[in-house]
Amino acid sequence: MMHLSPDLWVWVGALLTLFVFSFLFGDNPFYKFAEHLYVGVSVGYMIAIYYWNFFKPDLIEPLFGRGELILIVPLILGLCYLAIFIQKFSWVVRIPMGFVLGWGSGIAIPAVLQANVIKQIQGSLITSQTLAHWNTFVWSIVVLIGVITTVIYFFFSREQKGSLKVVANIGIIYIMIGFGASFGYTVMARISLLLGRLQFLLRDWLGVIH
Amino acid sequence: MKIGEILGKIDRRIVFGFMAIVVIVPFFFPLNVTGKVAPPSQQLFDAVEEIQPDSKPLLISIDFDPQSMPELYPMLKAILRHAFSRNVRVCMMALWVTGVGLGEAALNEVAPEYGKVHGKDYVYLGWKPGFAAVVLGMGKSIPETFPTDQYGTPLESIPMMRGVKNFRDIPYAISISAGDPGALTLWIPYVQSRFGQKLGTGMTAVSAADAYPYLQSGQLTGLLGGMKGAAEYEHLVAEAGYSEASKPATQAMDSQSMAHLAIILLIVLGNIGFILTKGRK
Repeated sequence: MMHLSPDLWVWVGALLTLFVFSFLFGDNPFYKFAEHLYVGVSVGYMIAIYYWNFFKPDLIEPLFGRGELILIVPLILGLCYLAIFIQKFSWVVRIPMGFVLGWGSGIAIPAVLQANVIKQIQGSLITSQTLAHWNTFVWSIVVLIGVITTVIYFFFSREQKGSLKVVANIGIIYIMIGFGASFGYTVMARISLLLGRLQFLLRDWLGVIH
Repeated sequence: MKIGEILGKIDRRIVFGFMAIVVIVPFFFPLNVTGKVAPPSQQLFDAVEEIQPDSKPLLISIDFDPQSMPELYPMLKAILRHAFSRNVRVCMMALWVTGVGLGEAALNEVAPEYGKVHGKDYVYLGWKPGFAAVVLGMGKSIPETFPTDQYGTPLESIPMMRGVKNFRDIPYAISISAGDPGALTLWIPYVQSRFGQKLGTGMTAVSAADAYPYLQSGQLTGLLGGMKGAAEYEHLVAEAGYSEASKPATQAMDSQSMAHLAIILLIVLGNIGFILTKGRK
């Protein structure tokens, strides 16, 4: 039994969904309309959120309302970005970019090193905890072999032949299994997006499923 | 025309039509395919289960946008239902500007089901720009990073946020993540590693495979991967008697399973066509 939605916005969403799906049969004006509308709405939405969640409470109110003059510094740094639109003064943009790059690198390097290198090496080691149960022990061995052989595959300072080639080939098997797992998950993700839209069309718009 | 050439030249519109039928039919004739709950999903459920009711809040970060809704929105609602049914307080925030409305929509939908009140049982901090600066600031002081909530209410006047100073007062954090910034690029390096925050994540399936090394190393203590992870969490919440609400991810898993079988079939047919054509050449 069909129960068409009485909500105007559900109809708008459904029609826009069909416009986007029409791209499966080739580029067309309906698809282009939906694409341009999406870009415009996204930018407008972001500008509104930026103003109400950031500019107003964190800059305009404290600076002009409560007189927190220190905020003039980030305000000027922010305005320097706009200099890129004036050719004569475009070099000014290097000041805030230098600040951001310096701050970003200083913050990121130790954090990423700790999380992605040190902790990952620790996680690959066989400890007394991993030896406690046969299940964790076996998987720890599998992981350890995978880490060593994959790293050796990316070792290019010596020609890969003999035993080095054998080990590197085992690394390739691990890498391929990793790619396969990623691809399988990617297929699931893309199908999920389609299913989400179909649920919207069949349930929220047409009302033929619950 | 030989069979190999036919298989190699199937019109893409036929493939689209075939896939459409395969994914739509199970919505009308459910197969009720049930899978085993994966350990990472169970771990996330157990971590939320361990949070004391009416105590320090569970932190949920909305790190996704409407494009990832089919996978991540069901898991967000399932986690909220789990928390609210156990009277676990929720502190929500957003790191993706286009996700602000999604967090609000989920709270507005789920909180009334359990009679939960804004300020007492949950708070929505909203969004701030800066990504790393935001979470590092929260490690020092949450009220200084978010002086007000999404609706302009000062944090100090919100009852459930009294005594919540920084990550030390957050028993568990979950990043519902669609990419960068998200669990892998922000929460693990800047929050888990730096502050020792107990962390779980719900991710899009595309990035879920990348999260397993962090699970193995103990940096993550729970993981929901894509729609399957969402369906597993919905199952766990329903099985524990916490919710009788509809389960959109579970409903879609029948279609998901059929689509996977169809894709495997198409891959096999495509390869047979390729091998037969190659043999002739």
